[in-house]
Amino acid sequence: MPAIVPALEWLKELAWTTAIRESAWGQPIIQTAHVASIVTFAGLVIVMDLRLVGLAFTEAPLTQIQQRLFPWQMAWLVPSMVTGLLLGCLDPPRYYGNVLFRVKLVLLVLAGLNALIFHLRTSRTVGRWDEDPRLTATAWRAGAVSLVLWSAIIVTGRLVAYNWFN
Amino acid sequence: MFLQPFFEWCDRLAMSEAYRESLYLFAVTQSLHLLAVTVFIGAILIVDLRLLGWGPVGQSRAAIARSAQRILLWAGLAILVTGIPQFTTNALSSYSRSPVFALKMFLLAIALVFTATLRRWVALADDGRLPSWVPRAVGAVSIALWLSVAISGRMISFYG
Repeated sequence: MPAIVPALEWLKELAWTTAIRESAWGQPIIQTAHVASIVTFAGLVIVMDLRLVGLAFTEAPLTQIQQRLFPWQMAWLVPSMVTGLLLGCLDPPRYYGNVLFRVKLVLLVLAGLNALIFHLRTSRTVGRWDEDPRLTATAWRAGAVSLVLWSAIIVTGRLVAYNWFN
Repeated sequence: MFLQPFFEWCDRLAMSEAYRESLYLFAVTQSLHLLAVTVFIGAILIVDLRLLGWGPVGQSRAAIARSAQRILLWAGLAILVTGIPQFTTNALSSYSRSPVFALKMFLLAIALVFTATLRRWVALADDGRLPSWVPRAVGAVSIALWLSVAISGRMISFYG
């Protein structure tokens, strides 16, 4: 048994996680808040990605769409992560054993890395974004990767509820 | 109830039968529905943020709204295609008796009418033609309406 499992059991048996798990409305409310904030966060990420790959909002400069949506994406990332962590604490052994949950976590790390790399490059070269064709190609790649990853995260996230392949 | 024959007809469809028998079909359809909803909400929000004066303000409201409209139509089509089998499969056994499902459809009808009329008209009007509180109010109402549709949608399976 991996060393982490007793810690997960301990988290599950805490008074507050047990209270929320056993209450009638605790889990449905947190889960709904999780879905609502993810839909908002990922929706704004996806429309930005559609601009990056040139499928929408093409009259607007790339930098503008990216910079004006970024604060709103971050504002909704916070509640989606807080509610997600909270859900995880309610029954950690269940998620630990769920294959799709593990896939979702890996995809989240990849999406985070993709965004981080993109931002490090953007901050260095932001003045030339809208003219330099090489940078547009970089933006296209970052947008396409992000579209694929976030779509897969939403799909696997929904499927975690089904406990397949266990 | 006068819709009872319709619910029974939905229940008897070969598609509903296939959905009930498959272990994966319903779950996969549900996930794709959620993905389409995410894209739809994104296209709603970028316009609403712009109406509120917070989004990509370098562009006119109309330019953002026109581009978003194409995304809305495609995502809306995907939502419909993935929503219909979920409805026909569960119509008779649960949705017809679920107050949350009824609430979602009611909110959805209001949101659709609001978006196709007042919101569309305000978003496509030339910037400066309307007093600034009008687009702001429309953007705020739109966010509230569409998020309440999404939230009530998620609540259906907890209730029914």
